[in-house]
Amino acid sequence: MGIETGMERTVRTIYMTYGAMVTPLGNTPEDNFQSMSLGNSGVQKQSASGFNGEDWPLGKIESLHSDNRYTELLRNTCNALKAKHGQQLFQSEKTLIIISSTKADIESLPEDTFTSTRKIIQEVLSPKNAPLIISNACISGVLAINTAADYIKAGKFDTVVSIGIDVLTDFIVFGFQSLFALSDQPSKPFDKNRTGISIGEAAGAIIVSSVPPDSDKFYVEYLGGSSSNDANHISGPSRTGEGLFRSINRTAKRANINLKDLNFISAHGTGTLYNDEMESIAFDRLGLNNIPLNSLKGYFGHTLGAAGIIEILSTMLMMENNILLKSPGYDEQGTSCKLNVVRENTKSDVQLALKTASGFGGGNASIIIKKKV
Amino acid sequence: MKILACSKISDQGIFLNGIQQSIEKTTNNWKKELYIKLGVEYPKFYKMDALAKMAFLGFELISNSTSIDHLADDELSLLFANKHSSYDTDQKYVNSYMEKGSPGPSLFVYTLPNILTGELSIRNKWYGENIFFIQEKFDPEFFIDQINFYFSKGSNACLCGWVDSAKGIEECFLFLVENKAGELSIEELNNYYKQ
Repeated sequence: MGIETGMERTVRTIYMTYGAMVTPLGNTPEDNFQSMSLGNSGVQKQSASGFNGEDWPLGKIESLHSDNRYTELLRNTCNALKAKHGQQLFQSEKTLIIISSTKADIESLPEDTFTSTRKIIQEVLSPKNAPLIISNACISGVLAINTAADYIKAGKFDTVVSIGIDVLTDFIVFGFQSLFALSDQPSKPFDKNRTGISIGEAAGAIIVSSVPPDSDKFYVEYLGGSSSNDANHISGPSRTGEGLFRSINRTAKRANINLKDLNFISAHGTGTLYNDEMESIAFDRLGLNNIPLNSLKGYFGHTLGAAGIIEILSTMLMMENNILLKSPGYDEQGTSCKLNVVRENTKSDVQLALKTASGFGGGNASIIIKKKV
Repeated sequence: MKILACSKISDQGIFLNGIQQSIEKTTNNWKKELYIKLGVEYPKFYKMDALAKMAFLGFELISNSTSIDHLADDELSLLFANKHSSYDTDQKYVNSYMEKGSPGPSLFVYTLPNILTGELSIRNKWYGENIFFIQEKFDPEFFIDQINFYFSKGSNACLCGWVDSAKGIEECFLFLVENKAGELSIEELNNYYKQ
């Protein structure tokens, strides 16, 4: 398996570059990195956001003002993509757009909740090929990159633009509240005193391509990716981390790397007791205890279908800037297995990074990327 | 690629490998009737939403006609799609907090279409790859591309499905494909879907 994909990889190198990044912390990848470096967090108490009027801490984009946050954010993101990369890229017959979203325009019910997505993409970017939509809970973003790589490896497209997006809605906030999964303080992934998730909203885009980027542009190379189911519970993480363990192993084989060579892990780290514990068990089983790791949920909140994309973008930014960003909210080990959680922004030359995600439906996904030589 | 079996559950009846099954829909609760007639004992079935129930039944039908026991527990990938995501359950869940007093957690956890791949994985102890797409209609060419991607990555079989439930229309088309010599044409796949 590893050898086969290794051969494919030598046939078509896959490059990943910044597309767009709109979060509570900024409207471009660079602004986001600047803000994260300063230790800012987009997670703030939002008054009366809960079902019973609770003030939950949430990652809210304050600049969104229209009645429909989803269509406004998608339109803004597409406009940012068009302004930065030019419309020709999207109109080429060798370009595909992939959207990753869990609930898309859920507030448009009883209309179909994914119809406005196609409409806005068409209006703003007018692509030659109809966009492909992935909706696979919190691993959607990582799957959107893996699927992009599949299409490029097979030679079906030269460039795939993977966009991840989800917004704050009563639907989502009330739902996580009903599961007693929300934290009353900004979430503290992997910390001893963590009590739950902070939900957030964001959009991000990554350009995945077989076309080598201009020499002055930063890029990372996609080495491999995979998914795996826990086969355990639809909304509770596995107690053994089986799915995550298998996905990381499978990804390492496809990437043809030894896990010991990883320099950094961007974990999922939601801040719930069970999720973070599950991740620590999976990482421990793989001997990854000493590799620097963070969760970015303390900066943005858990942005669901956008999470995989904006967290890979953040990982790329860390690699470009040679800085590991601290994992917000982490003070004291709170998982049964030891992890090397990044406590302070640290200078580091990361060559190889692993990104993981886990979600409802028992899904786990991972990818390994390599820094531009 | 070789198609091992397929099932279709819709208003038009219940089909296994293109042959209509003599299981009649006599009440509104035909999913429960089919569950009982298949002689399955899996009480979790009753907690599932319509999408997961249909996918569950669709695969139980398939497993009556073919076995994939020779595959390792992570060699099967689940490739699914539909048009309306979790539309019916989304509506019921919204109703729980808009009309019935409080958001229902047991409804909320089913407001993701990929929960059905989780249910199939739990039932059958499958640890393989999973993905769920939202598409405007069943697209056989798209599925054949996806199957080829997963075979080239190392999967030896794919359970594929188009499972949708919205606006009073329920349908579930599942097909099981193995990475063996054989041709599966777009036309053949479309014919199975349209049965």
